Amino acid sequence: MFLEIKDLSVKIENKNILKSLNLSINKGEVHAIMGPNGSGKSTLANVLAGKEDYEILNGEINFKDNDLFDLNIEERAQEGMFLAFQYPVEIPGVNITPFLHSAINSKRKRMNEEEIDNLSFAKLLKSKASDLDINIDMLKRSVNTGFSGGEKKRYEILQMSILNPDLAILDETDSGLDIDALKIVTDGVNKLKSKDNSFLIITHYQKLLDYIKPDYVHVMVDGSIVKSGGSEIASEIEKDGFQKFQ
Amino acid sequence: MNIQDNYLKNRKNIFFSLNKDIQIHREKLINIFENDSFDRKNNESLKNINLKNFINFKYKYLISEETSVINNTQENNYSIVSVNGQCSSFKDDKIEITKISDEDYNDFSENNTIEKNDHFVNLNSLFLNSGFKIIIKKNNNIKIKISNIVTDDDLTIFQKNNIICEEGSSLNLIEEYENKNNATSNILNVIKLEKNSQLNHFLIQDNSPNHNLIITSHSSCKKNSTYNQKVYNFSEGYVRNFHYSELIETNSETDLQGIFFLKDDNKSNNKTFVKHLAEDCKSNQVYKGILNDYSKATYFSNTHVDQVAQKTEGYQLSKGILLSDNASYFSKPELKIYADDVKCSHGSTIGPIDENSIFYLRSRGMSKIAATKILISSFINEELSSIDNEQMYEIIQKKLVRYLSKVK
Repeated sequence: MFLEIKDLSVKIENKNILKSLNLSINKGEVHAIMGPNGSGKSTLANVLAGKEDYEILNGEINFKDNDLFDLNIEERAQEGMFLAFQYPVEIPGVNITPFLHSAINSKRKRMNEEEIDNLSFAKLLKSKASDLDINIDMLKRSVNTGFSGGEKKRYEILQMSILNPDLAILDETDSGLDIDALKIVTDGVNKLKSKDNSFLIITHYQKLLDYIKPDYVHVMVDGSIVKSGGSEIASEIEKDGFQKFQ
Repeated sequence: MNIQDNYLKNRKNIFFSLNKDIQIHREKLINIFENDSFDRKNNESLKNINLKNFINFKYKYLISEETSVINNTQENNYSIVSVNGQCSSFKDDKIEITKISDEDYNDFSENNTIEKNDHFVNLNSLFLNSGFKIIIKKNNNIKIKISNIVTDDDLTIFQKNNIICEEGSSLNLIEEYENKNNATSNILNVIKLEKNSQLNHFLIQDNSPNHNLIITSHSSCKKNSTYNQKVYNFSEGYVRNFHYSELIETNSETDLQGIFFLKDDNKSNNKTFVKHLAEDCKSNQVYKGILNDYSKATYFSNTHVDQVAQKTEGYQLSKGILLSDNASYFSKPELKIYADDVKCSHGSTIGPIDENSIFYLRSRGMSKIAATKILISSFINEELSSIDNEQMYEIIQKKLVRYLSKVK
């Protein structure tokens, strides 16, 4: 199993968010989690990425034969986990290009691969940016600083395509995107999809799943997965909402 | 030893001690020390420091055998090594350097901008033992680098420098303070900018833990003149940077910026004070601090807009990053506005490094320490990227890397 979450319960500030959650993802699969606001979807994404604000009450997570709780945030990233943030953080003064270069090399170092030099990285960045219709001038700016909502999401996908993760978690990447931007972003995801990597897509709406076809759809309500199945569940939700699952 | 005994005992080594008027002034200063109860709460110059250590000091001064050096390295470029606050005389058709005179002493007797109860300025006037005067002659464009060297342990240097930029002149002045001796340097800079002149003043401070550096400066700007000051404090010893700026004629400007990098139990006190005394003048005061371990800092900024100073633009900003729960930074911005057509603002933010930014960077594979360092660098990126002197940029970068290497 590529990612296996067993009986996971998590709380933050005395509030239980995830309650005995179970989820398994195999290599090459695309899973979507849908759920109403406050159901714990983003908490799951953050816990997987290693955010330290949460208290793990119970359960285990196994990722590529590692106990995920043994790995800190950066080790998880270096092992191939990537979180595309719902609200990417603006970091003025940190230039995109050297930041991404350093990120890719930290992963390569852990994998005992040769570090990528400046020139090769510049070529890689330029080509990936062009795929996502990202202007080269944007790469001279600071991380997410002054970006529109759509630009931030596109930049998240650019980072994902550069870092080429084994498991990408997309936390409401579709929110705030117009239809053209949504196409560009989902094209980027589809290009990256292969039999060697997996995706966990968190969304409220079926629209995103029209562009990225999931193998499995899970409904999350009040911190647990209450139903799993194929893409027909997304259509069901689109038609009737989440009410019937609550 | 009390101030009076200390002064009387060392009078022969102190500048202008035979001048009757100066004697009278000094007697008044001694009285201030003897009668002041050192109200720490209301005296900004006394925050975070034990004044007794500075008042009950052992006076020691010597004129070093090493003499100061002035090199005219390239056209319009001068390099000065000032030894124990002294500088040899020099004169060409562009600049003139002389020892300070009795008249220069009196600059502040009529001046009300610097507080009368600033004990460090008063100590400087009482024990003055060194200093020089630089005049940049009309319409010249000059670069000067001054390395301030202290030669021996336990020296107490009380130095006063006068810098005068004559009409239409421009001066780029870099001052370095990098001393390893256990000593105290108390320096008062008096800067005058005549019509259409400009001074870009950089101060790089990097002293060892037992070297105290107290710098007070006062600039006055006449019509269309500009005084810009940038202070980079990497010192491991105590540093006080107080700067007072007066915009006395129209269209004059001042930009006072500082960055300090503190660690261990180091302390630094900072103050900028701008007085707008004429129409259409601009000022900017920006200080940023990075504080680790048990370090402490203060920053007081003050913009005073006189009622005649219409169309004033005056901005203040103070920012601090606390890298440790035990570090503290006290910032107090003040605006006093007596004119009605002005644009002024002030702001202050102090806190730890943003955890969400750390998480974001770590989620891309950066270690926590690398993420912290990159965020510290980004905090001061704007100030660093505005340094247009390549050599200076490299110096500051090196010192920043050294500071960051100690951040855990």
